[in-house]
Parts: sequence; C-alpha cells; structure tokens
Amino acid sequence: MIDNEIITELEGIVGEKFVSDKPEINYLYHYDFITAEPEGKCDCVVMPNSAEEVQEIVKVANQYKIPIVPWVSGINFGSLATPRKGGIVVDLRRLNRVLEVNEDDMYAVVEGGITWADLQGFLEKKHPNLRAGITWSPPGTGVVPSCLCYGMFDLGMIGGSGAEFLNGLEAVLGSGELVKIGSCSISKHWYGRQPLPDLAGLFIGWEGTTGIVTKAAIKLWPRLPYNEVFTGATLRMDDGIPVMLKLAKAGLGIIDIVVVNLGWSQSVQNLNEKNVPKDAIEGGMPDFVCIIATQAYTAKQHEAQCEAIKEICKEGKIQLMSREQGVEAIDAPPTQVWGCWNFSRGGGGEWIGSYCSTGDIVRYYNLAREVCLKHDKPPQFYSRIMFGGHYCVARTNINFNKNDPSDIEKARNLLKEIHEEVQQIDGAIMYKSPKWAYQTHKEKIFPATGELIEKIRKLLDPNKIMNPGQGRGEN
Amino acid sequence: MSKRRVRNLPGMGISKITLAHENQKLERYQDLTHYQEIFFQCGKCGTCRTVYKDANWSKVCPSGEFGKFEAYYLGGKNLLTWAITTDKLKWSENLAKIFYQCSVCLACVQQCQIPEIHTYAGEWLMAMREEAVKVGYGPMPEQTKYTDHIMTEKNPYMEKNEDRLKWLPSHIKQSPDAKLAYFVGCTASYREQKIAITTAEILNELGVEFKILEKEGCCGSPVYMTGQTEKAVELAKMNVERFKENGIEKIITSCAGCYRTLKETYPNKFNLDHGIEVQHLPEFIRKEAKNKENIFKNQVQMKITYHDPCHLGRHMGMYKAPRDVLESIPGIELVEMTRNRHNAWCCGSGGGVRSAFKELSSFAGKERIEEAMETQAEAIVSSCPFCLNQFKSNIENDGIKAYDISELVRKAI
Repeated sequence: MIDNEIITELEGIVGEKFVSDKPEINYLYHYDFITAEPEGKCDCVVMPNSAEEVQEIVKVANQYKIPIVPWVSGINFGSLATPRKGGIVVDLRRLNRVLEVNEDDMYAVVEGGITWADLQGFLEKKHPNLRAGITWSPPGTGVVPSCLCYGMFDLGMIGGSGAEFLNGLEAVLGSGELVKIGSCSISKHWYGRQPLPDLAGLFIGWEGTTGIVTKAAIKLWPRLPYNEVFTGATLRMDDGIPVMLKLAKAGLGIIDIVVVNLGWSQSVQNLNEKNVPKDAIEGGMPDFVCIIATQAYTAKQHEAQCEAIKEICKEGKIQLMSREQGVEAIDAPPTQVWGCWNFSRGGGGEWIGSYCSTGDIVRYYNLAREVCLKHDKPPQFYSRIMFGGHYCVARTNINFNKNDPSDIEKARNLLKEIHEEVQQIDGAIMYKSPKWAYQTHKEKIFPATGELIEKIRKLLDPNKIMNPGQGRGEN
Repeated sequence: MSKRRVRNLPGMGISKITLAHENQKLERYQDLTHYQEIFFQCGKCGTCRTVYKDANWSKVCPSGEFGKFEAYYLGGKNLLTWAITTDKLKWSENLAKIFYQCSVCLACVQQCQIPEIHTYAGEWLMAMREEAVKVGYGPMPEQTKYTDHIMTEKNPYMEKNEDRLKWLPSHIKQSPDAKLAYFVGCTASYREQKIAITTAEILNELGVEFKILEKEGCCGSPVYMTGQTEKAVELAKMNVERFKENGIEKIITSCAGCYRTLKETYPNKFNLDHGIEVQHLPEFIRKEAKNKENIFKNQVQMKITYHDPCHLGRHMGMYKAPRDVLESIPGIELVEMTRNRHNAWCCGSGGGVRSAFKELSSFAGKERIEEAMETQAEAIVSSCPFCLNQFKSNIENDGIKAYDISELVRKAI
C-alpha cells in the first residue's frame, strides 16, 4: 500500500531518521498492547516536528488516499489509535513543547504530542505556583488526546471533563488546511473559545477522525497553599454515593471526588486479581471507597472546609482519613496506575466507561457488578463526580491475560455484556468507545444530529483518510 | 516504587495484602523463557521514559531520546521481546540493532513501578543480546572487531598486551608478596593512564601493600555486555586463574565496569565463585579515611558535580561512597545535577554503544556535559575511566573540566 516513492516523499518532509517502514519499529504501533480490541496494521510511522510538516504529511496521504492515524502514546482503553485500515501512523511525540504559559489568564499553550510528564515537569520547574488538571493515566500518555477524548482530570469538580480544559486549538484538517480555533484565531491570546462560534467541537469527541491537533491551550489553576486529600470508606455504594453528591453541591473547596469499589481499590494497591476476595458484599467488607480533594487559600478557610467535609461524611457514616493519618489513596498524579491493565498480571485491561447522570451511579455499578460476578471476575468500579456535581463518569474495568487468546475472547464477551447491561440506563454514553460500542451512539442518536455529524466529517475529511475504522470515522 | 497506597482500614480491612514481588520471585541472569510471563505485563505506558515523580520528570533514556521511536524505549523492548518469544516477530538485523542501540544503563527500569518489570527487565535486555548472538545477528560489527582483539591481546583498544603496563612509572612501589591487587582495567591502562598512576600513588601514599598483575587482562565487561557470554566466561576464567596463582585475596579497582564484572558478574552470572573481596576505589578510600586520621592534607578548592557511572550506581547500588569521599576533601564543594544517583543520565559509552553507535554515544555524552555545566560546577567528576574518557571526548571549548575521583583524591592526599 505504501511504496518506496511515498516513503521518500515522507522522508523529504520530516527527514529520513523520522520515517519507518521497518516491521520491528512498526510493530509497536499496530496494536495498543493493553486492550482486548483486535490488532491493526501499521504500514509506516512518521514523526513530524511542526504543524507545517503535519500539513505536508496529510497532503501526501490525501494525494494517495492513504489512511492516517494521529498517535501520541497509543494507549487508551478504546484502542482508538490502533490503525484499523493500515496506512501512516503520525507519531506526534516530537511535538512535545510548552510554547507559552500565561500566568494572568492561567493557561499553557502546548504542542499536540506533549505528555503529562512533559507538562508537569515544565510547570514544576518554571511555574510552581500553577498546576494542570491531570489524569490518572501514566505519565507518558498525551495531554491533548486526553482533552479531546473527554478524559477526566484530578480537578474534575472545578474544571469538568478534559474537553472543558481546552481554551483553543490549532489543527490540521483531514483536507490538509491549518485552522486556529478560539481567541487565538483572532489575536495572540489563547484565553478561551468564547465568544466566537465554538469550532473546538469539530475535534472534541471525534477520536482523530476530523484532523490532527498540533497545538492547544490548556487551562491551568493556582496551586493553593492549603490542601488535603481525604480517603473514606463505608460498606455499600448505595450508602456512600448520596453523601458524595451532597458534598459535591456544598462547595467546600472540593476539587475532586472519586469513588471506587473494593475491586478497583485492590487493583491500585499492587495486588493480584487471583489473590483477592471477589465480592466485598459477600465478605462483609467495605465496598465503597472515596477520595475527596479540597484546597484553600487561607488556613482558617481550609480548617472550616475540612471540618464541614468530615461532618457531612460522618452524618453519612463514612469514616474519613487524612494524609496526616498516613493514608493517601494515590500519589500525586501523573501516576503509573498500572493495576488498571495489570491487575490480573496479564497485561490486559479495558473498560466500559460512560458519562451519565449522577442519579444513575449506583444502578450503573450494580448492573456491571452482577455481570462481573457471573463471570467470576472481581467487579472494578470507578466513578468521578464532575463539575460541581453536574454530571459524572462511571466505569468498569476488566483485566485479562493478553498472552492468552481464550482469555482475550472471554474479556471481549464480558465487556460486550456489561455494555449491553448499562445501556438500560438512559443517558449512559460511552466515551473513548471502540468501534463496536460506538454503534450504540449511532443507533440512539437523534437522526438529524447523526446526519449533521456525518456531513461535518465529510467536509473535514473528504477523502476519508482520517483514522478510518475508529469512532466517527469511516467504517 | 510507590510509597503510599490505600491501606487496610483499621478494624475494617480493605483486603488481604499480597504484593506482586512477594508472589513471584524469579532468578536473575536466566534466559528469556524464565521471564516469559512478565514481558507482556508492560503496556508501553511510557513511565520508563522520564524520572518518576522527581527531577522535574526529566528524560532518562538516551536510547529512546535519540532513536525516538517506541522500539528504542524499554516499553518497546519489553513488547518486542514478547513478540520474539511468541513468534509474532522474527529475528532480523534491524531487531538486533534496536537492542544493541542501548547502553543498558537501566535508568528505565528504575522508573517502572510494575514490580516484576522494575526488578527483572534488565535481565531480559541482556538475555535478548545473548539470543541475538545465538541467532547470528549480534554483536554489532565494531563489537566483534574489539572482541576478537580482546581474545588475543586482552584489551579492546587495538593495543598490544605487552604494552599494558607502559603507564607504570618507576616511582610506584609494589609488594610482590601482596595479597591485594590493583586491577587497573583496559581504559586506565591504555587511554586514561593518569587514573592508573594516581590510584597507584594513592595506594603508595596510604602505605598499602599491593601489586599489579603482570598478565592482567580485560575483565570481559565489553564482551559480556554485548551478549557474548561464552567468550566473557573464557576471559573470566583466565583472570580468576591468574588471581589464584598470585595468591590474591582482595582486589581494588578504579573502573566501574571492572568492579561490576569482578564482583557481580563473575560469581552470579558466570558461577565463578572466586571468593576474592572486590572494592571500588572510593569504597576503599572511604574506609581508609575512617581508619586513619586526616588522610586529606591538602585543600582542593573546586566546585564540582559528580556523575554516577551506571555500572557503579544502578548496576551495583553504590551512590554514597564516592560522594562521601569527595565531600571529605577540604575545599571541595559538591553540587548535584538534576538527574543524579539512580536517575542519573548515562554518559553514553557503555554497553558497546560507543564503539557501534557513535552518534547516540556522543548525543548522550553531550547532554550530560550540558547538565553538568548547568550546575555552574568547574568540573564533572566520575569514578569510571570510560565515563571520563567519554566526557573528555565530548567537552567542547573547555566548557567544563573532567576528572576521575582518583585525581582529586591524589591532590588532597
């Protein structure tokens, strides 16, 4: 599919060193090496160093009608960067610079391939008074893809989903044109997407099927001097969730609320799935663990906030512990939360994760839990209350042995069963969906909206080259 | 490793704690099959690329930062190893090159928090080199060339074995009956002779009875590190025989590579239990300084930064002894580079890289020199002749001086 002539053209754009058609190099790009999704095929990898080079690559892909897949770390639980139709993987890792930090408006302009480690390292060194919202994904994963795919950050209560942290974008369309979106399209400032038509939506939630984002402005936040991360537990999810929703609506400087069940908490404790009790409820163990992060500007404010949080939790029979008491649920992110894919020591993990109404968290958990226990798997549940309690994310992880084809098959079936079960919940919309799960969106979506999405995709990617076989891309 | 985790709640108990590394204890120095249930635990998540939660998340992998593609980082190598052991990929010249384009500095494995990978990844990085040799794709041509020379002339520098002691000045006093040997090593014998001279002078000054073996030969490190274990064992056997013939009970070496090989590789990989105590020079000096009063008589007014050689630091866990020695020299001000101790950036000379991948080697060396210069130190000091030689070759415009620790100790004694 990609002959020497095309390779030479690509080498002419980025330099010989940054193009590979060698099987040993390309092997690492043909599959995400984590999920139970099928392997793909990578014909060629290319590493641009500027937006202009990305444009040139996209032009070549258009000329020869070759699929093109934007890539940063290639791991996400929907396998969205796996090249389904072969073609060129555009590895953006050379585009990993922080171009500007605006302390007044608190944002950083970064390149499209920057990782959490790159961004966090830069801020620690140059702007220790500011912080980014960070995912619980490993430090080597991409910042911009996380925002574009609605990732969750540890400032979710004040900032919402990753998409809401984006102030503006620069992107190369599938057709090869370079566009700027937000205030940066009209000025040198990247303070926001308002008050222009919000074209960021042409790239958010599209899983790389409309273009390649080469720059983005990410909201930063002040690092306040007083902070605490409480960890709490109670016996049942039904008991704990209402307390968390009450907290979410109480202010109290809360920047993050995460709820996990026993299974998930075991996976992040370096435990082995084979050695842990599967069902907390049967074992009379606490099945609700919460993590509540709060911050304040003054000591007095902090003390009052912490007191109120403890009081609300106490009323709800949740025992809280602080860092001072030696309990910290998770090291300050970015963190290699490797239990997510290696709880079974088989290197395989995938989730069914959805945005949904906060009123449905318990139901979501119960439906997923039933399926897991039926298949003798410890249920692993994780939920984040978002944006002051306006919505939430609910997620069930499944781990498996990726060296064992039958275990992969079992995991696929289990994931599909969970997905079908939680579809009973109106408004449970899966994010970072693999193609098979994305079909559900298509079936449920308001018809005219579905048509509009299709029209937009065709406009931005006329030759259907952008990440085909994924998300909203070409089937 | 992660310091803090969700713990058992008092009286409630979240779960029974069974840590992975307690569950799965494996042997070191085994072939690939021994580790085959671990490679695929890797998700190429990229944690191995940067200092984990420290040093501003600085990059740690010279191979990856130079090669850029995923294959050149540990994550890529883990999964390529999995692919080879499960026949998903076949050995090729290019695959071997990927594995050899790495100094095996092991900064990557320090960062990964998956206990099995953290503990054992270094084993299969070496086992893959051994495998490459078995299937005929390793070592690299330049490494074959120096190995051939080592097997005849006992040094990788294309020099004659008979010239090995040419550095030895007449004022050095040796004791023919000494049971302590100063193992000079190839680099100090042929390229960084000042280290050999100052080390011998230090031993003389301290009144230590020692001898240098007339027929000292290469320890085998450059041969072993490039996957040629059988040949390295051959060299090791010759050396051990020589130690025994000379009644050696203790060895002091000024080379990090020799130290690792004699102390760790001979007994634990080659099963040559020589029973000889092996000490690296700073370790020895520190002990002498403790036992004797005021061994450092002279001021050495200098602001320096210390570079941890990979074979001494990450491979052998020795970080403190050289620092203790340097800090006890009057006048020395020791400042740290951002990446230090187990997070130190490799100088880029080890693992056969300097001979076979000159561009990568130089890239790594220059990056370290730049980092040293950022500290405003006058000199970068190491305790390995190979590191020193690498720095000297890559310092431009006299931007910073480079010394071996023995040179500063000599000035102070």
